Amino acid sequence: MRHPNQATLALHAGGDLGPFRRWMTERHLSHCGLCRDEVAGFTEMREMLPDLAELPEISWNRLAAEIKANVRLGLEAGECVRTREISLPRAASPAGWRAVVAFASVMVLVGSCMVLERPWPATVHVASTSVQSTKDGVQVQAGDGVMLGLTNGGARDVRYTMGAQGSMAAQYTDPETGLVTINTVSYAQ
Amino acid sequence: MGLLGAATLLAQDAPLATSSVNINLPADSPIALLNISTGSSRTTAVGAAMRLDLNLSLTLRNIGNNRIHGVFLRVVSQEGALGSVGSVFQPGLNVGPGEAFPVHITTKLMRPSQMAGGPLLRVDLDGVLFQDFSFYGPDKLHSRRIMMASEMESQRDRAVLKGLLAQGGETALKNAMLKIKAREESVPRLQGRIVPGGHSMTNQAMAAVTPERQEKFAFVQFPDSPIELKQGSTLIAGSEARAPSIEVHNRTDRPVKYVELGWVLTDPSGRAYMAGSLPSTDPAFSLPGRGTSQVRQENTLEFSTNGKPLSIRNVTGFVSQVEFADGKVWVPARQSLDSDALLQQVLEPSAEEERLANLYVTKGIGALVEELKKY
Repeated sequence: MRHPNQATLALHAGGDLGPFRRWMTERHLSHCGLCRDEVAGFTEMREMLPDLAELPEISWNRLAAEIKANVRLGLEAGECVRTREISLPRAASPAGWRAVVAFASVMVLVGSCMVLERPWPATVHVASTSVQSTKDGVQVQAGDGVMLGLTNGGARDVRYTMGAQGSMAAQYTDPETGLVTINTVSYAQ
Repeated sequence: MGLLGAATLLAQDAPLATSSVNINLPADSPIALLNISTGSSRTTAVGAAMRLDLNLSLTLRNIGNNRIHGVFLRVVSQEGALGSVGSVFQPGLNVGPGEAFPVHITTKLMRPSQMAGGPLLRVDLDGVLFQDFSFYGPDKLHSRRIMMASEMESQRDRAVLKGLLAQGGETALKNAMLKIKAREESVPRLQGRIVPGGHSMTNQAMAAVTPERQEKFAFVQFPDSPIELKQGSTLIAGSEARAPSIEVHNRTDRPVKYVELGWVLTDPSGRAYMAGSLPSTDPAFSLPGRGTSQVRQENTLEFSTNGKPLSIRNVTGFVSQVEFADGKVWVPARQSLDSDALLQQVLEPSAEEERLANLYVTKGIGALVEELKKY
C-alpha cells in the first residue's frame, strides 16, 4: 500500500488540501489505521497552537504562517513540475495534454509571482540582532528572542543612553539597594 | 512532533538554584562574596529554548585596604555563543575596608534548552576603582576608563555643591537639589534601537518615503577641551541616523587614545533630545599630539519618544570624555555644561547629582551635608 506523505497528512489535518487531494486522502484513511493515527497527531498539535501563541517571546503565529506558506509553495511547485505523476485517462487526446502543459505553465508562473512578491529579505532582516531599550530595561535581541536583557528591578525613573558603537545603557536608582546603577548591554566585544 | 515536545516543555517552570549562577572573583580580588540570593529567579522552558528571569542579590565585602568608589561587573550568558554581553556598574560607592555593600542584578535571557552543564549565568568582576584612582581588574569592558570618568564627574559635582554650601549655606544647597530634581523631571527622554550596519527593518518603509540625507553636525565647543571638533556629518532618514562621523583635532601635545562625543538631536519643532554617545571604539583610532583623526561608527540608530518615532531635523555634537595615552581622563567642567543653552535643555543630572538629590529627598539636608563632608 502506498501511503500519502507527511506533508499531505499534515495539510489534511488542517483542512488545507484541495478537493481532489482531500478525497484521495480520505479514501486512503478509511482503510489505513497508521495514517489515521498520524493525522490524529497533527490535529492534536494544531489544538495546542493557540496556547503556544500566548508565549510573549516567540511569534508562533508568524512562524506558523511562514511555514504554512512555504509548505504550500513547495507543494504547489511540486505539483507543477511532477506532470508525469498526474493520473490522466489513458485515452487522453493531444488537446488534453496541451491543456495540462498550459495549466502547469500557469501554475509555475503564479508560483514565481508569489515568490517574487513576497518580501523574503525583510523576513531575514527581522531575525537580525539589535540592541534596544524596552519598558523595563535594555536588551540584545535576535528576531523575537532576548539574547541578554538587564532589567531595572522595578525602578520607575530610568534614563537610557545609546552608544553608537552598539550599546544601550539604563541608569536608575535601584529601589532595593538605593544605589545608582548603570546597566549596559551590547554586542559581544 | 517537535511542537508537541515544545508544548510539553512549556509546562516546566522552576525556581533557579544558586548553583546556576557563577560569581567569578579572582583569588587576589579586593572584594569577596558574602552572600548570594537568587530570590524569585525562575527558568521557564519555551519551545526549544529556556527563558531565564534572574533576580540576584549579592552582598560583597571590601577586603582590601583602600576605599572602593566603584565596582563594575560583567554579566555573561553562553559566552561566545550568542554574542551579547552585559554589565552592571555601581558608581558613587564609598566603601571602607571591611565594609559590605549590596549589588542587585535583574536579568532575562533565552538560551537553547539542549545546552548541557555549566552555570546559566556568569558574573565576573571586571574592575574596582579605589578612592586614589588606582584600579584592579581585567578591564575587558574598559571599566577603568568608564569608572574614572564617572568618578571625575562625581568629584566635579561634589566640589560645586560644597562650594555652594560654603558660600550660600544650606539654603543654597537645598535650591541646588531642587534644581537637580526639576532637571530630572524636565529633560525629554529618548528610547531607541541600534542595528548593526544598514537600515533597520521597521524603518525601511519610512526610508523609502523619507529620502536619506546627509546632515552636517553643529558643534558646542568647550574652551578647556583638549579636543576640537572640526567637521562631521551623519545620514538621516526619518527617525533613523546612521554612520555618524566627526573629524577631531587634538589641541594638546599629549597623545589621545579615546574620545567620546555626545550628540543632541532636534526635531522640527525645535525640541532637543540627548541622543547618546559617539565613542571612538575603532581599534585603529589614534590621535597623536596636535593630530587630527575621525570618530565614526557604522551602525544605525533609531530614535523614538513616548512610543512615537522622532523626526530628526538637526544634529549637534560636543566632547564628553577624553582619555589620554597615559590613562588620564578629561571630562567637561560643570561651568562649560551649564553655560550652554542647548545642553542645559538636554543634559540629565550626573549619577552623583542623582545620588545626592535622592539622599536629600529621603533623608533631608542634614544627611546630605554629612555626606558631602565624607569626601
